[in-house]
Amino acid sequence: MSISDTSRARTSLPPGIRLAIATGRSLGGHTSAVIGGTLVVLIALTAIFFPLFYQVDPLEQDLLSRLTPPVWQEGGSWAYPLGTDNLGRDVLARILYGSRVSLSIATAAVAVAVSAGTLLGLVAGYFGGRLDNVVMRVADVFLAYPFMLLTISVIAVLGGSLINLVIVLGLADWVVYARTVRGSVLSLKQREFVEASRALGARHRRLIFRHILPNILSPVLVLATVRIANIIIWESGLSFLGMGVPPPDPTWGRMLAEGRAYISQAWWLVTLPGLAIMITILAINLFGDGLRDALDPRIRKTAG
Amino acid sequence: MRMKLAGVALAALMGIAAWSPSALADNTLVVAQEAEPVGLDLMRSSIQTTMSVSYNIHDTLFRPQGDASIRPALAKTWKQLDDRTWRVTLREDATFHDGTPVTAEAVKFSFNRIMSDALNSPNRGKLSAFDKVEVVDDRTVRISTKEPYAPGLYMLAYYLPIVPPHAVKEMGDEQYNVDPVGSGPYRLEEWKKGQEVVLKAYDDYYGPKPAYDTVTFRSIPEPEARVAALLTGEVDVISGIAYHQRERIRKSDNAHLTDQMGVMPYLGLNTYEAPFDDKRVRQAVNYAINRKLIVDALFDGEAILAEGVISPRTFGAAPDLEPYPYDPDKAKQLLKEAGHGDGLQARLAYPTYMTQIQQQAEIIQAQLAKVGIDVKLEPFERAVMWDRYKAQKHQMYIYWWDDAPEPDRYVYPLLHSESRDYYYKNPEVDKLLDKGRRTLDREARAKVYHEVDHVLYEDAPWAFLYIIPDVFGVANDVDYEGRRDGFLDMRSAKPSSN
Amino acid sequence: MARFFLRRLRHTVFVLFAISLISFFFIHLSGDPVMLMLPADASAEQIEAMRERLGFDDPLHVQYLRFLGGVLTGDLGNSLYYHVPVMELVLDRLPASLELALAAMAVALLVAIPVGVLSAVKRGSLIDFGSMLGALFGLSMPHFWLGIMMMLLFSVTLGWLPTSGRGTLAHLVMPATALGVSLMAMFARLTRSVMLEVLSLDYVRTARAKGLSEALVIGQHAFKNALIPIVTVAGMEFGFLLGGTVVIETVFGWPGLGRLVVEAIFNRDYPLVQASVLVLAMIFVLVNLAVDLIYGCLDPQIRVFDEGEMK
Repeated sequence: MSISDTSRARTSLPPGIRLAIATGRSLGGHTSAVIGGTLVVLIALTAIFFPLFYQVDPLEQDLLSRLTPPVWQEGGSWAYPLGTDNLGRDVLARILYGSRVSLSIATAAVAVAVSAGTLLGLVAGYFGGRLDNVVMRVADVFLAYPFMLLTISVIAVLGGSLINLVIVLGLADWVVYARTVRGSVLSLKQREFVEASRALGARHRRLIFRHILPNILSPVLVLATVRIANIIIWESGLSFLGMGVPPPDPTWGRMLAEGRAYISQAWWLVTLPGLAIMITILAINLFGDGLRDALDPRIRKTAG
Repeated sequence: MRMKLAGVALAALMGIAAWSPSALADNTLVVAQEAEPVGLDLMRSSIQTTMSVSYNIHDTLFRPQGDASIRPALAKTWKQLDDRTWRVTLREDATFHDGTPVTAEAVKFSFNRIMSDALNSPNRGKLSAFDKVEVVDDRTVRISTKEPYAPGLYMLAYYLPIVPPHAVKEMGDEQYNVDPVGSGPYRLEEWKKGQEVVLKAYDDYYGPKPAYDTVTFRSIPEPEARVAALLTGEVDVISGIAYHQRERIRKSDNAHLTDQMGVMPYLGLNTYEAPFDDKRVRQAVNYAINRKLIVDALFDGEAILAEGVISPRTFGAAPDLEPYPYDPDKAKQLLKEAGHGDGLQARLAYPTYMTQIQQQAEIIQAQLAKVGIDVKLEPFERAVMWDRYKAQKHQMYIYWWDDAPEPDRYVYPLLHSESRDYYYKNPEVDKLLDKGRRTLDREARAKVYHEVDHVLYEDAPWAFLYIIPDVFGVANDVDYEGRRDGFLDMRSAKPSSN
Repeated sequence: MARFFLRRLRHTVFVLFAISLISFFFIHLSGDPVMLMLPADASAEQIEAMRERLGFDDPLHVQYLRFLGGVLTGDLGNSLYYHVPVMELVLDRLPASLELALAAMAVALLVAIPVGVLSAVKRGSLIDFGSMLGALFGLSMPHFWLGIMMMLLFSVTLGWLPTSGRGTLAHLVMPATALGVSLMAMFARLTRSVMLEVLSLDYVRTARAKGLSEALVIGQHAFKNALIPIVTVAGMEFGFLLGGTVVIETVFGWPGLGRLVVEAIFNRDYPLVQASVLVLAMIFVLVNLAVDLIYGCLDPQIRVFDEGEMK
């Protein structure tokens, strides 16, 4: 089943809902998507609702109980189920709280990249000509600019706040979406239903947003799930270089980066947030794979 | 086309396979530091990791000692002619690595070079008390200061390396920086940029011949990797060991620790602006910090509580001062008196490149919160931190210095208004510090610094913290004792006898 | 052909020019390096004199034009921090960076392609499931974490490999693997999915129907076509690898370009940052040009030299 058929059949519904219905229907048959999706939902729910069942301040220091091991290990206690860090802060609370920060950064950065990339890709692909040329030239420049260096120099100038990180990570990533979207738009433009609408005198805006956009959303969605995972990893890399979110707010990446100093004394400080990252990314990728298979088996994963 | 591609691929593969294994000679000492040297001209850097390397290549007139005294090095004898003049006689047998003798002319040239605008030496300011160096004869110089300057020779021992005039002139400053010709125990063999600096023992060295034929300085930026390299025996000496890594080295069978300089972090306060223009608020910060708890928790009680600006290990520290006690009630009381009964907000800046500072900043933040000071942490990348420091944009900031044996080496540069008055200026302190420089009698001089210590304790331009004795890690088959100045001086390293 | 190259050249020059412009203004936004180069007790006159000597008192566009002039004459200036010509520093470090990137890429491709092909051919089997799950794990580990774990295991505990530095092949193993694992995972997934796609195409079916052996079908027909997207992505990733290895370089003390540039950014060593960014971008562009040429070899049907649109 191809999406364009669905969209033509249900033109009365808003595009988002149409996509959701189509996606949901085709996802049902994919085990990996179901497992991944369930995990993603669970992780998101935990990040949102954990204060309901675990009310420990992730910033509260207890210097005299620093580096307490998790409860199952000798010396551990239920007071700190997953142990404490170098300042005696509760690791479980920090991982839970960190999930909010890390996931928000990643989601927001992807949102920035998707919006910017999709819009530019749409415009470039749809209008073509000079505009297309300009956008794609700019994309080439971004692509050739060593990404890590761009991020680092921006953070060095602006400082590592949450907002700055989101913008920087988002800006660095828009090209991927712009290129994908442009490619899809180019091929869609030739399709009969678009040409028909145009012949009927539909305006550009209507054409772009009612007819083209809904049909290119699926590759973007698939790409976005994969990139969220990437951004979580990048954030940890920036934290490693001391350029992540400033303290005291914990992020998984920063916990990992700071915990590495205690690797031989307190394995849990680097292992547990590492596990959190791994499970989340695993879930997102499983879901993304399923999504891809469900939405369009022909979409190529070109960026990783 | 296909053939060509195959050729390229083959070449790449051969490239990968063609690295020759580095054969380590027996009599080699490998030292690993946090960073590669910036240059090898000892005059041109004030960075510890850089100076540590070039300190083995260059010699100075005297060898500084842990009690702020000096011993002969290139200088054989010296005599104080009057309050402002010394006559220094050089050894006969000292030569530069190109074989030419170390002469009085070289000493004069070196002094003029470090003071010149063209060189822009970071250490020039530390010798600003000196007036000139005159050649008396081939082996004798007369060194004079503008005012009587008690720590004069000690400062020369640190900051005036003697360089060969002919070589510097021939090469130019830039070339000398990568290919120095010193008179120290080791000469530069090869600098593989980004990898290692290889030094070889200089055969005609005037002093005791160094025990190792070759000393290699490598840079390993990641602290965990440095410790790992020491424990696996890949390197023999490492610097930059975080406190919590010490236990691992102590427990290992391969390596041990040796003391070096002490790191003295301090919490600077901007006394020019509200709220820290009020002495009571500054004292309140001092009462609100539980240094003892920090020292116990982070440093197993091994750090020394600071009882004022001058470290207890430095000459001139007032013996009767006690560290500010932890007294949150008193802190609240003082804040109330200063009109901050409802609490106040402040920013605390610290540089991100010293990773260990962050956890201290986080603890201080939590402790200050308890007395109603709501602190926002501002981690800054090094250059930004420094720019804002100089632009007087910090409210509270953490920086550090080493607790040198000689008080003039850090109290003057940090707190005399002619050196820097970004955040604090006190005419009384200025006057005392000037007096401390001019007082030549050691006991009278100590009294001057006792007074400095008292005045600053009361006025509290900083929140005083603690002194963390730093260490080097040393392989067990090496006999090496760290020095109070923190330089990795390999003159004294030798294979251990057991 | 000549026309193609002319266009490519124009394009390359434009990209490099734009990059130099962006990086120039960006780094100058971060502030003046003069303060950082002088001790705390430097006087206002000393600061001014230094600023003048280095030309930082000129308007930005004048400074940029001077830089551009330098590029054209091949003189990118001296490092403010190391006091030597920046190109010397960059070229000193470049071989190490290339070596690491090549090795990581080799590690990744040598494992990923066979695994991906096998997974595709044995779709749905235990092998497929296992290797794709492994690939997912590979994607989910931050480089430095993997690097430190490897170091603890292979150097400290087992003593098989040196902890850090560059020199022998043994030094290269861990950094290349730590860097290569996520690439390996990515390429394995990519190979599998393009292979699946290619295997379902008509001409492969035809080849099978003609009774050609399975090995021949997969090796000759399918795989060759699957290589095109793999080579494209490899070209892109290679560029990222060169500039983005700073984390692994730091963990393993690898003397590459990444660390040099990042430190240069921190030190505000403008000329060094400029030169490195330019060199990295140039390599990126060249590698991708090479990729386009390789297309031509892989599939003569792709008309690289066509008038058609370029990326």
